[in-house]
Amino acid sequence: MWLMIKNEWQFLLRSRVLQGISLAFLLALGVSVYLGNLQTNSQAEQYAAAKEHLRAQWESIDAMNPHGAAHYGTYVFKPSNLLSSLDEGVRSVTGNVLRVEGHVQNEMVHSEASQMQSVSKFGKLKSSLLLQYILPLVLVFLAFHSVSKEKQSGRLKSLVLQGAKPSSIVWAKTISVWLYGLVLLSLTVLTYALFNLPSISAEITSRTLLFYLSYALYYFILSGLTVFFSARWQNPTVALTAMLGIWIVWTIFLPNIFMTSVEKWHELPSREEFKTAMREDRSKGIDGHNPADARGKELEDQILKEYGVDSLSQLPINFDGIRMQADEEYGNKVWDKHFGHLRNVLARQKQSYQMAGIIDPFISLQNASMGFSGSDNLHHQEFLLQVESYRRDFIKMLNDKHAYGGSKTGDWSWKADNAFFKSVPDFAYQPTAMASVFPNYLADLILLACWTVFAAVLLVWGTKRIQVI
Amino acid sequence: MSILDIFLFEWKHFSRNPFKVVALLLFLVAAAYGLHHGASLYHEQTATIDVIKTQAAEERQKYISYFDEGKKGPEDRPWIDLTTPFWAIWYNGIYHFKAPSPALVYSIGQAEQYGFYKRVTFWASPYDSDMTQEIANPERLQTGTLDFAFALLFLLPLLLLILLYNLRSAEAEQGFLPLIEVQAISQNTWLLSRVAFYVALLFVAIAALLVYGAFLTPVFSSAPAAFGRMLLFSSFYLLFWSVIFYFIIRSGKSIMGNALNMAGVWLVFVFLIPGLVHQWVSIKKPANLMTEFIDATRDEQEKLFNQPDSVIQAQLDALFPEIVDSPVARDSTKRNLAMNRSSSALANELKKSSIGVIEADNQTKNELIRSTYWFNPIAFFQNQLNAISESHYDHYQHYRDQIQRLIDKQIRTMVLDTWNGVKVDKEQFLHYNKNLVP
Repeated sequence: MWLMIKNEWQFLLRSRVLQGISLAFLLALGVSVYLGNLQTNSQAEQYAAAKEHLRAQWESIDAMNPHGAAHYGTYVFKPSNLLSSLDEGVRSVTGNVLRVEGHVQNEMVHSEASQMQSVSKFGKLKSSLLLQYILPLVLVFLAFHSVSKEKQSGRLKSLVLQGAKPSSIVWAKTISVWLYGLVLLSLTVLTYALFNLPSISAEITSRTLLFYLSYALYYFILSGLTVFFSARWQNPTVALTAMLGIWIVWTIFLPNIFMTSVEKWHELPSREEFKTAMREDRSKGIDGHNPADARGKELEDQILKEYGVDSLSQLPINFDGIRMQADEEYGNKVWDKHFGHLRNVLARQKQSYQMAGIIDPFISLQNASMGFSGSDNLHHQEFLLQVESYRRDFIKMLNDKHAYGGSKTGDWSWKADNAFFKSVPDFAYQPTAMASVFPNYLADLILLACWTVFAAVLLVWGTKRIQVI
Repeated sequence: MSILDIFLFEWKHFSRNPFKVVALLLFLVAAAYGLHHGASLYHEQTATIDVIKTQAAEERQKYISYFDEGKKGPEDRPWIDLTTPFWAIWYNGIYHFKAPSPALVYSIGQAEQYGFYKRVTFWASPYDSDMTQEIANPERLQTGTLDFAFALLFLLPLLLLILLYNLRSAEAEQGFLPLIEVQAISQNTWLLSRVAFYVALLFVAIAALLVYGAFLTPVFSSAPAAFGRMLLFSSFYLLFWSVIFYFIIRSGKSIMGNALNMAGVWLVFVFLIPGLVHQWVSIKKPANLMTEFIDATRDEQEKLFNQPDSVIQAQLDALFPEIVDSPVARDSTKRNLAMNRSSSALANELKKSSIGVIEADNQTKNELIRSTYWFNPIAFFQNQLNAISESHYDHYQHYRDQIQRLIDKQIRTMVLDTWNGVKVDKEQFLHYNKNLVP
């Protein structure tokens, strides 16, 4: 069989059309990796400058009331991800800026997509655009007449007469086309690695390998199916039109239909419903800014009892800080409930969408590509959770300073010094480790593997009795 | 052979080719699905606006009742005094909406990237976090929405490809081409007529879909011009692809070559050029992290309020010369409170200057995109369709401009009435509502 594969490659390499397509494709891949990298680097620079600017402002607070500082707050910017130069995922639609402040869990705002008019429905010229949409089509065009052309020329018959098994011929054709896809995929990954050599870690390597595996499986599915059609149908046009139809349905039609449908099956609340429900739940807790609040009074009695004093003025601490933290902790429960519900709905939507991979392996590929590049919604949610966890520690630190920093209840003019504000740690994003989120992409990989087996079975069983002329 | 004969032959050829018929049906289903999706968004946004209007009216009524009861405001919040312009305007619950156009049924455009309702207060800005998009799955936003415009822009060329790819080349491969000449008609007229048949077929399909869409939302009654413009641009778009594909099949020698060339052109126009332009714009003008706006709403504001009262007063006087000799300006017991309440006017000016930088940045990006239209036709048509359905960036920019004007007007009214010592009664409260609600 290897001899046949070698032969096939010699034919492929001699084809002027293929040489042209390969050259154009390589050029586009090179440009996409280069530009992707350039954009990631420029984003990283911009991110570092903005982060430094905001931190400098925080550290330059000379003296401020800690609760005033909680309202002053800070901002977190979404850092760029090294692998996003391969697949940008949801980055351009999720926003870039998140305000961190007391009393409220904010949402990310100011997405890149909202800062300009429409330009590209399928995203920027990233490697994923070429690897997901263009290269599969090239493989289809390479494979659709691979067997039928041999039938028409009578070469298939002579190969069989020389002792070659039809199934071996079909496999050799499939593997040749698949290898062509793998070569281009490998070149993309290698170019990417070359550009980012100093930053490559074990984590990046494992993610890149999984990214590579997903595409490799998908390319086998497409190559196998196309060669199968080419073997079954005498007319190459039928094979081509059938594969073009499948490509359109898989790539353009079904992802849109399923994505829109899962949003209807597992409905997210409207912003107004979401805010109203949170406001209602929030109003049932302590109002940190209202000393007359009944629940605040209960807490006051409890603290007075704890310290064995009769009035707030006798307390050695500042009760305002304690009330603010109680307000915050109640608020946290409300945010956990409502934002948790949003995350659950989004997770259910994702699971349903992943199941669509049963009939559309492109969906599994897209999920895996974004996921392994760390740019899907799951990674975005992990980022938001880290920011919220930081916000809670940040506000608690300020409220504790307010309560136990040396001021007395009602003394809103008391200010913490610059040393304290400098001691408040900045937000440090910990990239999500692949090991911790891998189970979420298992379904995508399994479905791609199932499709690969299906394509192999088609090739084995479906081409046993092909007509050799 | 007359052109009518060619049309009739082509109809037979089309109707006997299940692949082509299925492709057309698939397109019709996708486009109809897209129309329903657009209509659903239109109805959802309209319903949300109605709910907010009702809630705001109920809330307002609650505050009006305080005047009837002779109260200044809610008892548990004694600091609220509805007889002052500051609180009376604040509790008027003024919203501004971007009502969806019925033509949203055709193109959702950028409607899902922006908020469409906004509570307008003295401290508001068109770039507040509540101006962000509706809650949606980001992966769905990224994948894109299957609306009618998507079917038209991306699926229609593919349908046309499927319908046209084997015209002439099938006859050429089977050696029938010389027979065409024998039929006393030129090859060009014959091919043109065959292509015209499919163009006519698709034109009828598109027109029927547009009419169907017009029954899902009140297009004919509320936006009849949008229907006409949508039909016009859809026709131009159909012609654009038909001309390209006509030249490919006219010069093509084989079915495979035609399919390859047509798919190649489609890939270049749909994926490569827009993707490259998008990438180029992002490198040239990266996403704005809004640091100017953050500085204006935080540090600059802090600095502003930490200035001595005399400086703040001078700034207010410069902004509103009418208050210099106002009754409150002459009353030292009331001046400080009025100055505090007017401080939002100075903060508003700070925000406006930072917004100017952001919007200039966004406009530069839009200009860059527009400058590529001559080789990026899909982006051109996409933005034209978005403009027809009022879901283009410019429409949301206009909405933000309107919000800013309302904020300015609200602040101006509050500041002047506060410094003139206006005492708000029920009539004045309702007057604010009439004057400040757009």
